[in-house]
Amino acid sequence: MIDLHLLATILIQPVTLGRWQQMLLLLPLCLAVSIVYKTTKCANVRDIPVAAIVSWITIVIGMYAVGGVLLLIYHWSV
Amino acid sequence: MKTTVLNNNPELRVPLAGLLGWLLPGAGHLFIGERTRGIIFMATLAVTFWAGIAIGGVKNTINPQERQLWFLGQICAGSHALGAMLWSRQIDRPADDDPNHTQIIAYGRAEEVSVVYTAICGMLNVLIILDVLVRAERKPATAERGPPNRGRKAST
Repeated sequence: MIDLHLLATILIQPVTLGRWQQMLLLLPLCLAVSIVYKTTKCANVRDIPVAAIVSWITIVIGMYAVGGVLLLIYHWSV
Repeated sequence: MKTTVLNNNPELRVPLAGLLGWLLPGAGHLFIGERTRGIIFMATLAVTFWAGIAIGGVKNTINPQERQLWFLGQICAGSHALGAMLWSRQIDRPADDDPNHTQIIAYGRAEEVSVVYTAICGMLNVLIILDVLVRAERKPATAERGPPNRGRKAST
């Protein structure tokens, strides 16, 4: 049975995030984006899981690469 | 019976699929018969949206007064955003000097992440609505029942 009070507490009280936790939260968000995008694109529903995982890995590598480059530029410029 | 009548009329099917898709992400796909896609959309957007709310708390994540542009993105998630907004209004904002202030209001990273999660959910639902509009216009309501068997002889 679902504890509604606990569920409400989880949804009302914010969590405290560190820098690494913030970066890790990029992963599920990118997974959601890739699942939705590939579900609209794939003609066959059976192709969705593999296509979504490939897309997810591509997005994550791309985002971290862009983030790393921007961080380097920031450190060099300051 | 009513659903079949609405589904067979293309003039009603397309806007109704779009409206249902906005109200509940994935419902438009269920309406036009794309059950698997509809369930995938429904589950993905619900989990992502409410995960965002859980990170930043409902009070400060959905805040149309202070974050109008972000709210425009969030409201595209339909009933999720409407439900969260109504719930948010039920919770009183604690005073700034209240010791429980940070128990309700998120600041910094949690605030950023939660707002981005929920707004991206809304943007993804725009993509889903466009997809369902195209599919509803293109796809006859009976397509999921399989190809017609006219002109073929049953194999013995």
